[in-house]
Amino acid sequence: MRADEPTLARLMRLSQQGDKQAYATLLEACQRWLRAYYARRVAPSSLDDLVQETLIALHTKRASWDASRPFLPWLAAIARYRWVDHLRRLYRADEHELHEELIGTDEEPGIAARISLDRLLGLLPPAQERAIALVKIEGLSIAEASAATGQSESLVKVNIHRGLKKLAAIIEKE
Amino acid sequence: MTMPHTSDALIAELVDDLAPVKPLRFGEGIALTLAAAGVTAVAVVAAFGLRAEWLAGHLDPMQLVSTGLFLGLALAASVTVVVMSRPHVGSDHSGWRWAAAMAGLLPLAGVIVAAVRGSQTLSSEVMRHGAECLAGGSIASLLVFALLVLWLRRGAPTSPERAGLVAGVAAGAFGIFAASLHCPDNDIVHIGLWHSAAVVAMGLVGRVVVPRLIRW
Repeated sequence: MRADEPTLARLMRLSQQGDKQAYATLLEACQRWLRAYYARRVAPSSLDDLVQETLIALHTKRASWDASRPFLPWLAAIARYRWVDHLRRLYRADEHELHEELIGTDEEPGIAARISLDRLLGLLPPAQERAIALVKIEGLSIAEASAATGQSESLVKVNIHRGLKKLAAIIEKE
Repeated sequence: MTMPHTSDALIAELVDDLAPVKPLRFGEGIALTLAAAGVTAVAVVAAFGLRAEWLAGHLDPMQLVSTGLFLGLALAASVTVVVMSRPHVGSDHSGWRWAAAMAGLLPLAGVIVAAVRGSQTLSSEVMRHGAECLAGGSIASLLVFALLVLWLRRGAPTSPERAGLVAGVAAGAFGIFAASLHCPDNDIVHIGLWHSAAVVAMGLVGRVVVPRLIRW
């Protein structure tokens, strides 16, 4: 099934009314959509967990979608919120070790550019975007990111901290 | 909910758990907020009485303008809170800031006039009356505050900190609007400093307390 906007919106309307068959189809489509959406923006080892967390968020917050509005910008806002929360939790846990398998695929996520994670990251100052991309997404250590960017280690940390704070504040921004 | 091992198992679990939901409607959120603000205003007037000058048929321009500014801020902030409860990439949450900037003229004017008048603005009687309005406005904001927090809990605000701040500002502005229906003081120093303080105080309470209640 194609995960296009009208189809997803129709399935979500039925799901809000309690139609389990429509909901199962919707969740399957959303799962595929989310995998593409998060591709290359989280470590592959975290992808399953993040997709599942977002599906749970979709489930618990399904009343917050208004049938008079498009579905994908709603799903994208939830996905962005969970993604930023995921990056912040990584930051708190101080998991800066390098994961060898962190190289993503070159497959383009087939989604509207306005709701993409790339567009959200692009709203950050370049130094913050780079620090987050290297450490939080590609999994480099602070020292490696420092060497790659020419920023001091403390500046890399500051840029990650400020960047994550700003991302959290602009989740719904186009 | 504990995380099943596979997405397929999770989806099966979520489908099994599905029950019909009532979508959050913008109009319902605004209507409930206005109803709570209306109940508060009626309660304040019933408990403490309407402004004596209004009962005597006099209207003070300063009082009308300031009360109108607080009401405008309350409405703009409430609309923003209700919009924030329904996530949507492309939503604009900044409209309330313009109303806040307009209402911000009140404390600004109050500070300027207080500075010109000097120490008489710090007399114990002035301070006592000011503190009464600050407390009264804050207490009068609690019903709207609780309603907005409950609404945000039903929704999915993606910026809990900002949502908490704006909910506090909305509640504080409605609270001081209600208190203004009784407060007999038309002085810009009193209104600009003490009435505005209720909005600021509730904004801070919202910013500190609400995020932990609405995070998801």
